[in-house]
Amino acid sequence: MQLLIQQLMNGVALGSIYAIFAVGFSLIMARMGILNVAHGTFATWGALSSYWLVSQFGVNFWVALLAGVLFAGILGVASDVLAFEPLRRRKAGTFAPIIASIGIWIVLLTVAEAFAGPSATSYPAGSVQTEAFRIGGLVILPAQLYSVIALIIVVTGVHLLLTKTRFGAAVRAVSSDTRSATIVGVNARNTLIAVAFLAGAIAGLAGVLAALADNNVSFNLGEALLLKGFAAVVVGGWGDIRGAAIVGVAIGVLEVMSAQYISSGFRDAITFGILLLVLVAWPRGIFRERQFVRA
Amino acid sequence: MSTAAWLTTLQFAGVSALFALAIYASLWTGVLSLAPVFFGAFSAFTFAYIVSSLGLPPALAFAICIVLGAVVGAITAALLIRLESHYLAMATIAMVLIGRVLILNMPELTGGATGTRVSGDLGSWLWLIGTLVVAGYVMGRLGSSRFGLAADAVREDPAVAETLGVSPRRIQFVGMVISGALGGAAGVMQASFLQYIGPDTFYTHLGFVSLAAVVLGGAFYWLGPIVGAIVFTILPEILRGPMGEYDRVVTGVLLVVIIIYMPRGLVDMRRMRLLRAKWAARRKRGGDSTAEGAERPHEDITAGARS
Repeated sequence: MQLLIQQLMNGVALGSIYAIFAVGFSLIMARMGILNVAHGTFATWGALSSYWLVSQFGVNFWVALLAGVLFAGILGVASDVLAFEPLRRRKAGTFAPIIASIGIWIVLLTVAEAFAGPSATSYPAGSVQTEAFRIGGLVILPAQLYSVIALIIVVTGVHLLLTKTRFGAAVRAVSSDTRSATIVGVNARNTLIAVAFLAGAIAGLAGVLAALADNNVSFNLGEALLLKGFAAVVVGGWGDIRGAAIVGVAIGVLEVMSAQYISSGFRDAITFGILLLVLVAWPRGIFRERQFVRA
Repeated sequence: MSTAAWLTTLQFAGVSALFALAIYASLWTGVLSLAPVFFGAFSAFTFAYIVSSLGLPPALAFAICIVLGAVVGAITAALLIRLESHYLAMATIAMVLIGRVLILNMPELTGGATGTRVSGDLGSWLWLIGTLVVAGYVMGRLGSSRFGLAADAVREDPAVAETLGVSPRRIQFVGMVISGALGGAAGVMQASFLQYIGPDTFYTHLGFVSLAAVVLGGAFYWLGPIVGAIVFTILPEILRGPMGEYDRVVTGVLLVVIIIYMPRGLVDMRRMRLLRAKWAARRKRGGDSTAEGAERPHEDITAGARS
């Protein structure tokens, strides 16, 4: 029983990281209509840049985290301005941006590999608290706690931002009908760039947390996040922030549980096998898809 | 680069061309799928197994694996074809991921994490070029067939195709079966050249790169994926000298630039037809004609299909 609770907690902590990534990914996919394959590399670069600051310059971990998040956000904006914006201007359909994002993905991954080297490293000892909390026989690592807290902040923040602020209204207006939004005075371009920054920054946060949780910074750290985040967005319902977050956490729990009780080797196969079954059963995601038609 | 290295690179270009054709076959019907990587893995490991364990002649094993690839393609299509575009793409990526886990966990059949050696000598130029020529011929013939016209219609607009009496699901099913056969052939070729296959031989990277090759070459004509794959394989090799480990950066940038400025890829039959018409008109009128077709909307590979 205790093992079950412990593993459940581990699963939630792992899933929180997937969920954070999925929230940003969902923003990009549903609001901007882009399936951005490069999104995982934003997470990688968030982790890499913060690691670089901590290990080379001895910067405080939390400052480095902030810098990593900002840097990932800037990468999001840069890719939007350099690739997705020109495609929007040319009225490209839904598929061209995927290809452009594969290009960005190749560039960012190649540079990351050259920069970080093929082997994985970890944050220097002592840069962040690693001593576990013990409650009853349960062990909670600080990194796990940070992930869960970060998820709560991100989901609440993004939800409030989208539903309660002027900016949120602008985002919703632009994603449902760009032209009408422009006519009523919304600056569509700035809105989309802001979304790109936000999504990139959230990916960067997920990247740092993933690196911290695994105690491992590597050039392909973003790949697992990308695949699981994508799964969470698809199953959770296109554009549904809370749906993506819930499914993200569920994937983490499923992963830990199947590793514990079935087979660690089949962990990913079980996760994605269930995902496939869910897709076949509910072709539009568990939480019903909210349609965003981009003009 | 030495001649031997060039020959190896060209061989990989040929294998990439087969993978690109497999992706093209389903993209043709408006379905974005990375499943050919899974088909390739399935056929490659089957090939290795039946040649070494059952002692079948490689050529026969190759034929069996192509048929098996088509069967797996049919099963995939039966299960997944009704999903909408993004969901279908996700499902095929999931297939690739599951494939890797299966390879890792069936060591008695696949060699597990250490992979398996491939005996059976199909890794010669004759086989590669022969397979490519046959594949190209079939795709070319299909292009002007009833299927090809129907596939074009489904890609442009499935709703309109349906009113014309074409069943989009049926066309997409056939596209996926062809994709399976080509993916299977590509997998066996890959295995024969590498002579060693492991869990990472057929993974998401291969799918993304093949897809990129299709787009680079042009996804509207069967020659496009072949040209794209050759350029995409050779370019990094040429750049490796001056660029070192950053060689692939150019590939990535090129991909973005091409999708923005040449959305129909390097091999664009419509542009060629337009140019030819322009030249013909110019010759007739003695130069100075207005450029026909200069204003054309930016098009997409699946041109508004199923999104």
